[in-house]
Amino acid sequence: MSDPDDAPGSDDGGNPAPDTEGDDSDPDSNPDPDDSWQGRADRALGRLVDASAVERILISVAALVLSVVVGAVVILVSGWAATCQSAFFSAPGLGSFCYDPVSVYRTMAAGAVWPPYNLAISLKETTLLLFTGLSVAVAFRAGMFNIGTQGQLVLGALGTALAVVWAAPFVPAGIVGALVLVPLGLLAGAVVGGAWGAIPGALKAYADANEVITTIMLNFVATGIAFTLVAEVFKDPESQTVQTRSIPEFAQLNPVYFDSTVFSLYALFGGLAMAGIIYWLLNGTAFGYDLRTSGLQPEAAEYGGVDSKRTMVSSMGLSGALGGIGGAVYVLMVASRWRTGIPSLGFDGITVSILAGNNPLGVIPAALLFGALKTGSLAIEFQLSVPNQLVGVLRGLIILFVAMPEFFRMVGRRFRFREDRPVATDGGGGSSADGVSGSATDGPSGTIDNEGGDRQ
Amino acid sequence: MSVAVHLAGITKRFPGVVANDEVDLEVEEGSVHALLGENGAGKTTLMNVLYGLYQPDGGTVHVHGDSREFYTPRDAIDAGVGMIHQHFMLVDTLTTAENIVLGHEPRKWGGLAMDRAQAERDVRELGERYGFDVDPEAKIEDVSVGVQQRVEILKALYGGADVLILDEPTAVLTPQEVEDLFGVFEELAAEDKTIIFITHKLGEAMDAADEITVLRDGRNVGTVDAADTTREELAELMVGREVLLEADKEPAEPGDVGLSVSDLRVTDDRGVEQVSGVNIDVREGEVFGIAGVDGNGQSELVGAITGLRAPESGTVRVDGRDVTDLSRRERIENGMAYVPEDRQKRGLVMDFDLVENGLLGSQHTAPFSDGGRIDWAESREHARGVIEEYDVRPNDPDAEAESLSGGNQQKFVVGREFARDPEVVVASHPTRGVDVGSIEFIHERILDLRRAGKTVLLVSSKLDEVQQLSDRLGVMYEGEVVDVVDPDRVTEEELGLLMAGQIPEDAPSIADAVGGEP
Repeated sequence: MSDPDDAPGSDDGGNPAPDTEGDDSDPDSNPDPDDSWQGRADRALGRLVDASAVERILISVAALVLSVVVGAVVILVSGWAATCQSAFFSAPGLGSFCYDPVSVYRTMAAGAVWPPYNLAISLKETTLLLFTGLSVAVAFRAGMFNIGTQGQLVLGALGTALAVVWAAPFVPAGIVGALVLVPLGLLAGAVVGGAWGAIPGALKAYADANEVITTIMLNFVATGIAFTLVAEVFKDPESQTVQTRSIPEFAQLNPVYFDSTVFSLYALFGGLAMAGIIYWLLNGTAFGYDLRTSGLQPEAAEYGGVDSKRTMVSSMGLSGALGGIGGAVYVLMVASRWRTGIPSLGFDGITVSILAGNNPLGVIPAALLFGALKTGSLAIEFQLSVPNQLVGVLRGLIILFVAMPEFFRMVGRRFRFREDRPVATDGGGGSSADGVSGSATDGPSGTIDNEGGDRQ
Repeated sequence: MSVAVHLAGITKRFPGVVANDEVDLEVEEGSVHALLGENGAGKTTLMNVLYGLYQPDGGTVHVHGDSREFYTPRDAIDAGVGMIHQHFMLVDTLTTAENIVLGHEPRKWGGLAMDRAQAERDVRELGERYGFDVDPEAKIEDVSVGVQQRVEILKALYGGADVLILDEPTAVLTPQEVEDLFGVFEELAAEDKTIIFITHKLGEAMDAADEITVLRDGRNVGTVDAADTTREELAELMVGREVLLEADKEPAEPGDVGLSVSDLRVTDDRGVEQVSGVNIDVREGEVFGIAGVDGNGQSELVGAITGLRAPESGTVRVDGRDVTDLSRRERIENGMAYVPEDRQKRGLVMDFDLVENGLLGSQHTAPFSDGGRIDWAESREHARGVIEEYDVRPNDPDAEAESLSGGNQQKFVVGREFARDPEVVVASHPTRGVDVGSIEFIHERILDLRRAGKTVLLVSSKLDEVQQLSDRLGVMYEGEVVDVVDPDRVTEEELGLLMAGQIPEDAPSIADAVGGEP
């Protein structure tokens, strides 16, 4: 600002309009007529909606970087406000800053992958979130908001534990037994979770019951049923707590490369493969076409010969089965039995799915980010004297920033005007978009305890 | 006569498109001016410029001789320009009077409250002055679309408008309401109000306007006096080449009954009976037209035939086979094509690209799918074929349906359905919102189907369309087919009477010629 005449906005070609803010991309034209805030918001939304896959990835990376920058400011300010014995930086006149943003983020990044134990914990989390994220994504693509993945996971886990414990005496120990019991466990989880998920689907299809309400309520029912069954019928007689017998050791998904952890590469590969399968199912099959059409425009689906009621039931069944498999993997890989206090993987799956734009392949990086954030946050708590709450804020910032572009894409799709209607006539975000905003800000507030984030 | 509106050299660019290219337009005070053009010719854009919704990239706007710059509709309204959009902007739960005074409410108690009585008096007075029949106390949600439109007009007048722009005002109206609207135009013009209305229908422009300006590809290709022009001249101006307005039709060679509806009763979503015992037999190689004022059961009848709505009683037979209980999918697989009434709700998935939309209805059948896996290469070829044959623009199978103009969406839907190689075709308003060049093309394809011995049921609210294409014409009134007439011999007056539920004595009824139960 050396030139005193250089008023704001006068740098784009002597633009005479009073209220341009200098982002007119076409220097030849007159002031872009739609330079009102609505016009610009509309264009920005349009750009987001039209963004290509590569652009969307770039946007996500940019959002990640931006969240770190904002987070750094938050760290500095809270470090300035806090009192500590040894500040990392102090300047006369400015005061002292307790927390070093560089070391916080370095610890968070490094702690997610190092030492190997941490990497295993990150990937364990990723694996489980892959399944729950896919579960929510499938329902979303079918136009339904499945908040019940948690309940489907809890019951699926119980189905798996019971099936494996029941079948264990009939199979030989060792690799042969594992080859029987592990698929059996996964199948049991999928069937129980799928059946449980199909219930809200059927209620919506045949009784017009809103699936958001029914899935939320069925979560409580699921936990209640599982707890009662285990406490009254299937309780491990040698244990004081409410849990089933342990599944035999040979049926547990054994760690590969990562000793003494509860993570198995097989399970991770299974999750990655599942993401690929679901992607193909949605985009490469007639069933997926029916499902996506129903999700986007139920009337058009009906017109195209899609049995909407059956699609509701089957897509919720599929969603529930994925949640159930998540529960099976939890039992086979992590807990070795059904026990109370199953972490809130199902709820985190909602955020993962939104982060992924409900794209099955997008669930992979989203679940990775979630897993890494969880372990990275733990590392900060263990290694630095930064308060838990601040770590929670940083984690939340990252999720919020990365999720926002996808969120606005969803909103933008709804607000976009069709044909040549005038600007800003109608709109009104639909119910799912509204629901999304709730959970997108909800996710990060969960506790970051490793196993203690149980909401039941 | 003075000039009410003068647009000089208006240019409006959108990314990648020039919507208006140096358009000049002069409209005299107290006249009715039609802005005619195909879909995407830039009519609405030009009027949005005049109404202040868009600012032009070049050119000037003059209203009553003064050069004006409108940054918002507010500015335009203050200068006496009002616009009535295709989609009304009324508050459903308020009364007509409340809607009309909205924004300019008469006040009482020192401005603290709205003077409802005064508002109703004002509205009644305004209505009487222009010969409008509007009940100020009726709720918007309870009145017909035609009345809602009049409320919009009164609202603009109440706001002080003397130039009224109407965007496709007849699109939502029944033929009777259209006539009433044109009467209103005359009344308003007599009061020195200036009317500009957008249309792509030649007949309406000629009936209602004093002058007609034709836009093509964003340019003004001519302003003509409505009194000394012909439909042919207008059509040629619009399309840029000669257009056959009358479809050439050789005599029908009807075969066996292809589609038979007997004693069909259908209720709507609220459980009210809308189709009350309809009997129709459509033969192969025949186009059976259904005329009638919208809302007399046509939608429900079509729904029951196509499998989107379960009838209360009666049967639907295709080639003699009872399909009443077959699902929508089974009907498609049995060779039924259906051009739906509402392309944006039913006919297309707006967020899908054209490849995916080309698959709608065929996703489970060969050659696109083996029931499980979808062959996307085949589907892409199919979409490309429809796009080529029906000249859908943009010529890009990856374009999302949403990005197409309404006319191009319709062409794609029609193309997809006719490409099914169907036995029975049900076409509901197949040329709604389509420009004149494409109407000709779609009509030709319908006649091709007839030549190929297909069974065609055509439902349309355009009388000239059903009259031209049909071999027999059924008229629906209050859920019943009141008569089946010979479209070549019936007069418009007779059709009008039939559509109002009266059977004129000398109507060329051919109901007796309808085959009985097969």
